[in-house]
Amino acid sequence: MTADLSRASLETGEVLMVERLGGGLLELVARLPHLAATAMPGTFAQLRCGAGTTPLLRRPFSVAWTQDDTCGFVFEAVGAGTRLLAELQPGDPLDTLGPLGHGFTVVDSGTVVCVSGGLGCAPFPLLINELRRRGVEDILVLNGARTATRLYPAERFARPAVPVVAEATDDGTRGHHGPVTELLGQALASHVSALYACGPNPMLGAVMRTLVESGTELPPTLEASLEAPMGCGFGTCLGCALPVRGEDGSAAWRLCCTDGPVMAMREVDWEGLSTLPGADVA
Amino acid sequence: MSQSGFASVDLGRGLTLPNPVGLASGTAGYGFELEQLIDINRIGALYTKGTTVRARDGNPPPRVAETGGGMLNSIGLQNPGVDVVAADYAPRWRGWTIPIIVNIAGGSIEDYVHCATVLEPVAEIAGIELNISCPNIAQGLDFGRDPDAAARLVAAVRTVTERCVIVKLSPNVTDIAAIARAVEDAGADAVSAVNTYIGRKIHRASGRSVLPLGTGGLSGPAIQPLALAAVAAVGDAVHIPVIGVGGIVDAASARDFLIVGASAVQVGTATFVNPETALQVLDGLRAD
Repeated sequence: MTADLSRASLETGEVLMVERLGGGLLELVARLPHLAATAMPGTFAQLRCGAGTTPLLRRPFSVAWTQDDTCGFVFEAVGAGTRLLAELQPGDPLDTLGPLGHGFTVVDSGTVVCVSGGLGCAPFPLLINELRRRGVEDILVLNGARTATRLYPAERFARPAVPVVAEATDDGTRGHHGPVTELLGQALASHVSALYACGPNPMLGAVMRTLVESGTELPPTLEASLEAPMGCGFGTCLGCALPVRGEDGSAAWRLCCTDGPVMAMREVDWEGLSTLPGADVA
Repeated sequence: MSQSGFASVDLGRGLTLPNPVGLASGTAGYGFELEQLIDINRIGALYTKGTTVRARDGNPPPRVAETGGGMLNSIGLQNPGVDVVAADYAPRWRGWTIPIIVNIAGGSIEDYVHCATVLEPVAEIAGIELNISCPNIAQGLDFGRDPDAAARLVAAVRTVTERCVIVKLSPNVTDIAAIARAVEDAGADAVSAVNTYIGRKIHRASGRSVLPLGTGGLSGPAIQPLALAAVAAVGDAVHIPVIGVGGIVDAASARDFLIVGASAVQVGTATFVNPETALQVLDGLRAD
């Protein structure tokens, strides 16, 4: 079960801009022709942060969108690596390795729901673009964040035509006052062919719990993009283990980087995952 | 140094590495991922992930934590077991020209002897590296800390293999030279030094250790001066070849090991950052 890395490549691109979206969200745009041509929805790139040995490891980022030879990444300057990325100037080099990882299974019909929590917005523009390319028009985005300024702008989930975006904030400053999972009920009223989720692991666990407790039939395609502290990003360090359950209920580890980051939500051991520290801990 | 003179490293018992730059155990898996990213057959040796009698699932996450100039790992020797390596992986190495050196680990002499016995008839395997120094499994360090235990282990493995036996030494000891002398006397063909240093990281918001077992193994450029001192001490103590490993990120940091007496080197953690590091080290050394 060796990961397929046939599309992955080292590529040094050129930073075009780092845009401040408000609320601390940043969008890094870089000219990366190889990545732009090969990234599939849900795959990621390992970005080098600075040229020195601290921070040492690359940082994984979902490819948020591609356009011609350009890629976008959404992030927040929360640690040593992301602070360096936030300081990048137009014209600076950007050392990347990608695309990496197992992406979304993109359906080509029916109603699709995308559930985003915070920076979990990152993989959705590329996914929605691909869904539309395949003729899927009925797309609902449930977008949640702590507060209004931290909501990824609705118009950025897809260009030019914006999908239906329902928003929720923990503090009630915009949209539904409460967690994004409370918007799931109305979304599940109609038959859903695919539900895709991305956000902090506890939020993803809450999505799964809400789905199961709703008693409605689970969408045939039900996938989440997960996160874990990562060493290499290409399956050799074995550092990014996540708990899964086999069909017989047996516990096992899967690698976030090559078995994921997108995994079938039915296979994730959500209870086991909930006991683990967040990816920010490392 | 001329390219031809630079080219090969004789480790003994018929194992000649085509060049001195290898991929360190635990940072290259069994080669199947890196083979897709780099021209792996240009590299001097692949030291596989630590391999045990039975498959191991590995430790609970988080398994890695970044530190200043380095990283801690607590993988826990996740591997498919020696039978899978011999039966399923070895055929996939057919046609590769890079020497495959299987790193084996265990909790008892019998474990190591079993692994070496299973691997002995496998033609695709060029040598064995004994991991007597994994800090992340119970008893993983016992053989690495005690010269007599290390010698007994090497002598026992020596009786079941004609392959080149390399012993990977732990730096987490008082006198690494004593361990090196003991394994040389017991029949080791070469030693590699060093494995990771035991380290700990605290998550400052919670005051807890980041790694679930508390400690892990520190690697990366932060340890290069420590590893250099250990390799120099080992080189002074033994007559067999010494393979230097620890914090190499480029040709200059690799050359340091050759200067203090290493015959070959292994690139480890830097491969995670840039899969081409070993090739860049090789090209840099060749340009000397």
